[in-house]
Amino acid sequence: MQKYLFAVVLLLSANLFAQDVMEKPTPLPGMRGVPSNIPDISVIGNFYGKVSEDKTDTERNRLTTKEVELALQGYIYPEMKESVVIAAHKHGEDVVFEICEGYVSFLKVIDNLSCSVGKIHVDFGKINKVHQHHRSYVDQPQVITNFFGDHGLVGEGANLSYLMPLPFFFQIDISAWRIPAHSHEAEESSVANLTDAEGNTIDKILVPGECENEFGLADEVYTTRYWFSFPSTEKSEIEFGLSGAKGRGSHYEHHKDKAEVFGADLTYKLWLTSYERIIFQNELLYLMREVPVGTLKRYGWYSFLNYRFNKYWDWGFRYD
Amino acid sequence: MKKIFIYVICEIASLTLAMTFLCNLCSAKGRINVVTSTEDLADLIKVVGGEKVNVVSLSKGSQDPHYVEPRPSMVILLKKADMVVRIGMDLDIWVDSLIAASRNSRIIYGAVGYVDTSVGLERLEIPTGKIDGSMGDIHIYGNPHYWLDPENAKVITKNVLNGLAKLSRGAPTYFENNRTEYLKKLEAKINALQEKLKPYKGTKIVTYHNSWPYFAKRFGLGIVGFVEPKPGIPPNPSHIAALIEKMKKEKVKIIVVEPYFSQKAPKTIASETGTKIVILLPSVDEKKGIKTFIDLFEYNINKLIDALKLQSAN
Repeated sequence: MQKYLFAVVLLLSANLFAQDVMEKPTPLPGMRGVPSNIPDISVIGNFYGKVSEDKTDTERNRLTTKEVELALQGYIYPEMKESVVIAAHKHGEDVVFEICEGYVSFLKVIDNLSCSVGKIHVDFGKINKVHQHHRSYVDQPQVITNFFGDHGLVGEGANLSYLMPLPFFFQIDISAWRIPAHSHEAEESSVANLTDAEGNTIDKILVPGECENEFGLADEVYTTRYWFSFPSTEKSEIEFGLSGAKGRGSHYEHHKDKAEVFGADLTYKLWLTSYERIIFQNELLYLMREVPVGTLKRYGWYSFLNYRFNKYWDWGFRYD
Repeated sequence: MKKIFIYVICEIASLTLAMTFLCNLCSAKGRINVVTSTEDLADLIKVVGGEKVNVVSLSKGSQDPHYVEPRPSMVILLKKADMVVRIGMDLDIWVDSLIAASRNSRIIYGAVGYVDTSVGLERLEIPTGKIDGSMGDIHIYGNPHYWLDPENAKVITKNVLNGLAKLSRGAPTYFENNRTEYLKKLEAKINALQEKLKPYKGTKIVTYHNSWPYFAKRFGLGIVGFVEPKPGIPPNPSHIAALIEKMKKEKVKIIVVEPYFSQKAPKTIASETGTKIVILLPSVDEKKGIKTFIDLFEYNINKLIDALKLQSAN
């Protein structure tokens, strides 16, 4: 009996000692689901308070839970990663649950080429892809809301991303998406009879009115992005991007509109010390919207300056 | 507008093709391209790899290795790499997204060119039980600042040697000889530094962040507390007050701070306790003249001894 007890104690000690030695490389995030192979799980809440003199503002002088996101990420095969983000958003007083993103990434299809398939925040410009809680400001730049809607440009489809074999960073993204159109009843007052080029009479909303704020791209949407980056000094980097998107308007059934959006972005980042950092980011979007009565042209931009002054805090301002 | 856009795209495409051609013509052959997460690892690879490797570090010694912001230019360095060498244990977790963005299958996790230098390491401070955010930025695989014990260069260089031997296709003798020679030199230096610090063995210190347990163990120092109440959490008044009491009771003489941390709280503590703040370097930093792994320990031990001498004189 004593012999067995001794053997058990010896085994336990050996086991404890073995734990102190790193026996294999540190598993990557997404590879830590031991023992049951579960993905990495995180929850992020986005809360904001608003102080306002505007008595019509329903969020005036209130603390609001804007959204809560549950993210599940993990590897499902070598060089193949899945990511699912389920969000509860607050729209007015209602809470809406949705799959914010859900996609599989093939990290290397062929040399330099990766691919993502699923529902994805489209890589258009600098800020559209970034989830709200990762941004340095509580709201979305006005131009993104006006051109792509409240949640930005989000599509179900596929994205091919190619890193050019160059001595500097140059990445090309080409994507095809299916985005559901918005559906709502048109108000009588904003509907008019029009005659098209072939002499047919059709009902159209001439001036979209309240729908204007809900504009976005829908149906079959094609996007592309060209992204360059150069280290300007050892402590700074310049990023420049060109983006394009083509599709129908999100209220196509009423407006019969087709739209193209072009974007250019320029970002300068300067790391002063280990924590101090300055970001100067600018994005310009140009919209060409073909409606039956002609082509509407709009542009919008924002400029953002941010200074992180220590490990924990930063401040800045944005002009839309 | 549309025509201009298409024109710009065509220009970019033709420029890219031309640049690709030029790059392929100019690329140097023969050497193993190694990218490391820190400058300490870069120096150890230089000594093992010698003239057969090109080494570049993604972070600089002046940076906090926990918080390096990935940049697109780093993707390009990794794209060209035959081998990536990292600290692991979640210290340089920022490397993961860069490896994925590089689409370089030679250096992905599990590939021949992926080297985690913590393999085979005897780790300290492995948390047990439930781990959550209430414990601060805790590392679940143990304290990752293991390179601050110079003896761990043996484990680090062994991992590097294994990686280089695989990449050099069965010609590891050159690397083995370099490593053996270097470890002899390092051993002699460690012994000399330990001897130098012998009169101060058992000295109690406080450190800002919990970066120094391996260093303290090797050189016989006792860490009695931290300026941070928990790893990665900024100091607060109640913690500082408690720490001051503890330091007075334990007769602590030194507060060790890394150069990138704020000295505001350490200065308050130092003025209340009469201790001295010593800025020790956690990494090789060429800009500060600390060019090698050996220089790093020589510098830190000398700084520590100078401070302790000054304290003894007072």
